[in-house]
Amino acid sequence: MDKLPEGVIEPRWIAGSPTLGQVTADIARPMEGKPGKLWYVLFAIALLGLLDLLGMATYLIANGIGVWGLNNSVGWAFDITNFVFWIGIGHAGTLISAILLLFRQKWRTSINRSAEAMTIFAVMCAGLFPLLHMGRPWDAFFIFPYVPNQHGPLWVNFRSPLVWDVFAISTYFTISLVFWFLGLVPDFATLRDRAIGKIKKLVFGVLSLGWNGSHRTWSRYEIVSLVLAGLATPLVLSVHSIVSMDFATSLLPGWHATIFPPYFVAGAIYSGFGMVLTLLILTRQSMNLQRYITMRHLDSMAKVLLLTGSIVSYAYATEFFSAWYGGNIYERYHFINRATGPYAFGFYLMVLCNVLAPQLFWFKRIRNHVGALFAVSILVNIGMWFERFIIIVVSLHRAFLPSGWGMFYPTLVDIGILVGSFGLFFTLFLLFIRYMPMIAIWEVKGVVTDQQHMAHPSAETIGTAGAAGIPAPAGAAGMEHHHAE
Amino acid sequence: MRPLMILLGAVIVVAAAVIGVQHLFRMGMQQGYAPAQPIAFSHKLHAGDNQVPCLYCHYGARSSRHAGIPSSSVCMNCHNILEKQTVEIERFKEAAQLDRPLVSWVKVHNLPDFVYFNHSRHVLSGVACQSCHGEVEKMQRIEQVMPLTMGWCLSCHREHAGVPTNTLERAALRFSETPKPKTGLDCASCHY
Amino acid sequence: MSDHCNGAKDKLVTLGARRPPAPPQDYWTSPDELHHGPALRGEFPGGLPEIPAAAIHLPASGEPATAGAAPDGHNHDHEDHDHDHDGGDPDAGIGRRDFLTLMGFGVGAASLAACRAPEQRAIPLPVAAEDMIAGVPNYYATTCGGCASACSLLVKQRDGRPIKIEGNDVSELFGGATCATGQATVLSLYDNERLRGPLWQGQPAAWAEIDEHVTSALAAAAGKPGKIVLVSSTITSPSLRDIVARWGRAFPSFHHVVYDPISASALRLASAQAFGRAIIPHYAFDRARVIVGLDADFLGTWLSPVEFARAYARGRRPDGPTTLHVQFEPGMSVTGSNADRRIPTAPSELGAIAAALLARIARRAGEPEVAAAADPVDPTILDSVAGELWNHRGASLVVAGGNDAALQLVVHTINRLLGNIGHTVDLDRPSLQRQGDDGAMTALVEEMQRGEVHAVILHGVNPAYDYLDGPGFMKALARVALSVSTTDRRDETAAAVHAVCPDHHFLEAWGDAEPIAGYLSLSQPTIAPLFETRAFADSLLRWIDAPGDYYSFLRDYWRTQVMPRQSALATFDAFWDHTLERGVLDLGPPTTPSGAVASADPAGSDWRAAVSELRDESQRAAGTEGRTDGHFELALYESVAMRDGRNANNPWLLELPDPITKITWGNVAELAPSTADKLGLRDGDIVTITAAGGAIEVPVFSQPGQHPRTISVALGYGRTQVGKAGNGVGVNAFPLTRLVRGTRRAWADGATITATGQRDKLATTQSHFSMEGRPIVLETTREELGHAERPEALPNLWNERPAGERSWGMTIDLDACTGCSACVIACQAENNVPVVGKDQIQRQRSMHWIRIDRYYSGSEDNPQSVHQPMMCQHCGHAPCETVCPVLATTTSSEGLNQQVYNRCIGTRYCANNCPYKVRRFNWYNYTTGNHSDYHMANPVGRLVLNPDVTVRSRGVMEKCSLCVQRIHVAKNTAVKRGEPMQDGEIKTACQQVCPTDAIRFGDLNDPKSQVAQRMHDQRTYRVLEDLGTRPNVAYLKKVRHGQTT
Repeated sequence: MDKLPEGVIEPRWIAGSPTLGQVTADIARPMEGKPGKLWYVLFAIALLGLLDLLGMATYLIANGIGVWGLNNSVGWAFDITNFVFWIGIGHAGTLISAILLLFRQKWRTSINRSAEAMTIFAVMCAGLFPLLHMGRPWDAFFIFPYVPNQHGPLWVNFRSPLVWDVFAISTYFTISLVFWFLGLVPDFATLRDRAIGKIKKLVFGVLSLGWNGSHRTWSRYEIVSLVLAGLATPLVLSVHSIVSMDFATSLLPGWHATIFPPYFVAGAIYSGFGMVLTLLILTRQSMNLQRYITMRHLDSMAKVLLLTGSIVSYAYATEFFSAWYGGNIYERYHFINRATGPYAFGFYLMVLCNVLAPQLFWFKRIRNHVGALFAVSILVNIGMWFERFIIIVVSLHRAFLPSGWGMFYPTLVDIGILVGSFGLFFTLFLLFIRYMPMIAIWEVKGVVTDQQHMAHPSAETIGTAGAAGIPAPAGAAGMEHHHAE
Repeated sequence: MRPLMILLGAVIVVAAAVIGVQHLFRMGMQQGYAPAQPIAFSHKLHAGDNQVPCLYCHYGARSSRHAGIPSSSVCMNCHNILEKQTVEIERFKEAAQLDRPLVSWVKVHNLPDFVYFNHSRHVLSGVACQSCHGEVEKMQRIEQVMPLTMGWCLSCHREHAGVPTNTLERAALRFSETPKPKTGLDCASCHY
Repeated sequence: MSDHCNGAKDKLVTLGARRPPAPPQDYWTSPDELHHGPALRGEFPGGLPEIPAAAIHLPASGEPATAGAAPDGHNHDHEDHDHDHDGGDPDAGIGRRDFLTLMGFGVGAASLAACRAPEQRAIPLPVAAEDMIAGVPNYYATTCGGCASACSLLVKQRDGRPIKIEGNDVSELFGGATCATGQATVLSLYDNERLRGPLWQGQPAAWAEIDEHVTSALAAAAGKPGKIVLVSSTITSPSLRDIVARWGRAFPSFHHVVYDPISASALRLASAQAFGRAIIPHYAFDRARVIVGLDADFLGTWLSPVEFARAYARGRRPDGPTTLHVQFEPGMSVTGSNADRRIPTAPSELGAIAAALLARIARRAGEPEVAAAADPVDPTILDSVAGELWNHRGASLVVAGGNDAALQLVVHTINRLLGNIGHTVDLDRPSLQRQGDDGAMTALVEEMQRGEVHAVILHGVNPAYDYLDGPGFMKALARVALSVSTTDRRDETAAAVHAVCPDHHFLEAWGDAEPIAGYLSLSQPTIAPLFETRAFADSLLRWIDAPGDYYSFLRDYWRTQVMPRQSALATFDAFWDHTLERGVLDLGPPTTPSGAVASADPAGSDWRAAVSELRDESQRAAGTEGRTDGHFELALYESVAMRDGRNANNPWLLELPDPITKITWGNVAELAPSTADKLGLRDGDIVTITAAGGAIEVPVFSQPGQHPRTISVALGYGRTQVGKAGNGVGVNAFPLTRLVRGTRRAWADGATITATGQRDKLATTQSHFSMEGRPIVLETTREELGHAERPEALPNLWNERPAGERSWGMTIDLDACTGCSACVIACQAENNVPVVGKDQIQRQRSMHWIRIDRYYSGSEDNPQSVHQPMMCQHCGHAPCETVCPVLATTTSSEGLNQQVYNRCIGTRYCANNCPYKVRRFNWYNYTTGNHSDYHMANPVGRLVLNPDVTVRSRGVMEKCSLCVQRIHVAKNTAVKRGEPMQDGEIKTACQQVCPTDAIRFGDLNDPKSQVAQRMHDQRTYRVLEDLGTRPNVAYLKKVRHGQTT
């Protein structure tokens, strides 16, 4: 929705009409004041989780993969499930920051910063598992092509999806990190100007790369962000497609499916938005930012969930159909086993969370009820984790030769590491909302100015409005800067 | 002034990186390793000046995976009839008589781990001892001359298999036409 | 072969009279290690090659010495696959190189100082031995001591250590084959818990001291009335029997009791009645067109399984004449699983069935009518079986396993009436393999209780464990003035004897054997004794102070007794060298028939009485508790893995999946699925089984094909003083056996079963027994074979691989495979496959490179079963290869799927993508003893490891390599010979051991090679062919032989 027909009022993404200074003050508050009790409680819990992760990982590396519940039939279970899960989580961030930027979706402004942060932290969690799941993690560097080496030279196997993963994920992480940091620069400048105390000033000074809010800077900035957005956009599709090929290129019934790439991408965005919703509701309530993260934000994210959830459900149906229609006995048995075998409970849990739960969002009352949204978002997270578990474990535990059939039972270490990865994620995220502007100040200001322009309409197109509105905050920041002196 | 500093810094960083990486790749290589031996046995004297054939003492190399270090009894074959005596030769005599091992030599040529190298296979196919051990007959004290890395082994195996030793050429070859695979280049010819 | 011949000669020279066995402290001077000790470390993360002097003289407590005592003074850290040479503590987590690898990224420069590889030492052999070149194996012919079958062996000795047992293909009886037990005996040699020396009153003592005590005690006994008794298991050695005879002359009160816990004495009693000679006939299964087995597991454990399996397969080739094998048995056995027709039968009915068959055959033979009686099973079956037998008179064979004289007499009579004597039943050259005499043993125990026995020498027996009344025996033993045991450990019996005089392991000893009358074979030491043990024969000679040692005695015996019976060679030395080299000698039928007793008229032998006796018994069993609910018949059987329990401390055998139940580490109560349902018992529920002999607590396993009114329990488990590995594994069922009509019976009726409420997770390696209608094991019939064209090969989506010089392939004949599982152990021995222990098996983490899948088809009550050896299929388009990120697994130019351990980083992606699930991951480091404390974790046990195969460490994938090390050996010998390799020169371990020649290996590029020809057999197919994996391992369809209604 680039342009609106005459007479229609542009939807308001910020409640009330705060002054620009007020916006800065609101968003900078958590960084300058003390956080609420809730933050401390959450942080303590997250920290415990992180410690658990460290302990478990040490135990794992000291003893060997045997401490997990894996066996000759099931070579992957929680490890790769968690990996795919976390990679998936990441996708919402990139989607919001890149694609929605290209489409000039202004509602993203309040949420993109935290969403991007979430992406980075999620990818960090994900990156942990390929390392941990190796039998000999100390030789992990074998999977990087390093020449010249003394082995002749010895190369990596470019046919192996695991090698593609290495490239995909490292690229993904780099781009996301750069994009995120770039978005932070103007805000760092603002903070630098507000900062009291030498150290803060120095830190923010360095981080803001000597930003001066001149028009020239802004226009270049705009271009760079667009370019980066262009670079990031294909990643949204490519990364999870490649991850899905870990399975699609194998010959296992349940893995060997051509629909995996789109199916996984949809699933990734679905789970990602689920997580964004969870996080935003948490921050919104704990940091009382209701003004900037409005019900309308939550509402539109619910709609995205509804859409992607439906795509995922369609993919499930397709899998069953092709299994039946393809007539491959192994494939057919696999899907019968999926629905009736020893892991059926997981399958139905998955259906409940990923197929039925999002359908609630057809109703506006549910989309506008924070409690309900939160509950569903949790369900989505659970459901998507189980989806990966079903795909991986159920396919492996009963493959071609019945003599090789077995069962996977998780051990405490399996569960401990899963919990621990959440510990790592939330530790990072909580630190982020405590010490960094978790909402893009300058972008919000853009929206605010638009809204004021809306109040007395002008011929300005929204596209340029973003840019036109921008110098103001810098100016404002400048004034505050003088006050500080 | 400032750009100069930056340039200088960059140069230093790059140089450090390159050197570091090179060293990392050479990790575990023992080229030039020449430890002192418990007995100052001179290959120059025996193999060089007196022309004792390698395979006379290291007879294992003809029939076995291992070349073997000769027993004291083998030494005595000659030293029983040679009148020149030294303390160390005495020790050998004693060893042979007591049927007790006295000397524990320091191994010089150690291959990387998990490689099965078969001496007899190479000796029988006419590979000169020197091509891997260097000019032993000129050495007072044995030194590892060759790198003994996998890449080094392969370069020779490739030459004999008619496969280019240069990585890029090989890569090019792949695309044009697949060369007839050679046993000597299989992983399992050395790793199993 | 030439290699082994020379080897044998040299061995004679070096280990014979000229050079006395080196004392243990010299033992570690194995040339390989002396030349190269530390250098070999590359091949052994386990620090294998040296057995440190310290380790040899471990305290009897078996405290294992650390590898730190090794000559090079280096200890070894196994955490990292790139094993290291520096002295690290085995428990220190990551090794030096790994550490560096990790640090390498960041602080490489800082670590460079530490980067020098540590110093490695090498100690040469002081005096060169001409027959020992480091790294070159020698092969020596000897005789197996694993059980009384006395199979002839060829032992691979590498640098002074026997490391692999192979069959001696010169032998007509056993060929190149061995059984699982035989394969595993080499590990028993390196059992860290063997006694280090003799014990007196439980305390270590010197041999001289022991001899002092024993001789004086014997001298004292000679004066008194009290008897001197030698209790031994079957002695197949003629020379040793001769020494025993000398004892008889030395001590008038001496007598010899032969005691086998699982004996065939009823068979000998019956022979005495039927043929006038107390012998065990020699059965020729290859000549039999119709075989009827009455609970005789002749392919698994009965009498001489290896020989019988070979003959059985020889007689049943799909291209040969039609054969029929009918098996009546309570629980499914290896034999039953191969039978054309298997009829589940309660043990109490077997006698009646024999009787019924005899009645029918007697009628046809024109004998006076036998009183009719109700048939225990469907009469039509008996009619047709009897008919088939009669139609194949002279070419049929009936064998019964039951240890009951009446039953055996009836079976003898059936064979006699069928005219099988002299054809399939050979009386002239009887089997001497199971001489146990139940009656004599019970008599002895009574005498001991009455205090009439002064001295007892126990050799190769363990009555405290396996006698039907162990405690009773021990009480009686306490009343004996002198008790001596020659066991190699302080077992249940030896714990209470005065003197323990440990015998050599058979691989350390001289000896001879005569399994079948006239078939002799020699044993020679393949290693100097590891510990301060002494050959039993030497002890016997010493105690009657005969001059000379056993070796000279043996030579004298052969000079005087054996030499004259042959004419081939003139001088004794030539004869001796020749025989020792070949290992076996066929003298033809003996001139004096053995075991002759008061001659009885065969026809007149009172078999009618036996018939009625059997029928009455069956009636009784039927009438009383037998048939009523809640009462079962308990059938105790000898399991393939444990046999009579003498090898119960052998981790290989403990972890060998039972060919039928696929259960490891313990025995179970096998119930019919229907019965289990009726009793509401699930697999793993622990139940109490009470029978006349007592009660045992054992987990339940519902076994398809089990007779609904029976419970089968394996014997040989439940040892309590055998060692770390074997103690308390399973339960001891021997006490439930009973003495009936003077023979020991392995079944009991009126057994009750009650659930205890506890559960035990069964350690099984295969949990699903149905093929789910998938084309995995394909079957065909003889009819189809004639006119069936081979299906054309599937189209190939990819380019063909460019062909290398050779293309290795393997074929496995599913029709020949009996599932005996010898190949599993052979592979384990050849390829250093670790033992992982019960817990890991429960987690489905067995490491066997070759497994035998067993599938059932048909009804659960009496299914048809197939055995399918499954190992890496060495696919041309291997799914594992494309997914490995680091190229750790690739296809060689010769079609091998090669796994490079030091490149593997353990993503397990390959295992996930392998449709055959044959890849094995090292979940832990199995050489440290932290997670599985078996032979690989102690310096003595490590001596069994094969220096030509890497010992894998934690975190890497492994799998069948088609014995690539053997391929390399063959190539090298070909280069040495200067002429090309012959077909069949390379035998993989599994192929070499196979009694039925089911496995063939060779070069597919050579159209004349056996394997290439088999590839074109019309039965040939590949498993999961439609996946396009293009395996180089092919299977030959199972042929269903002629069926009877």
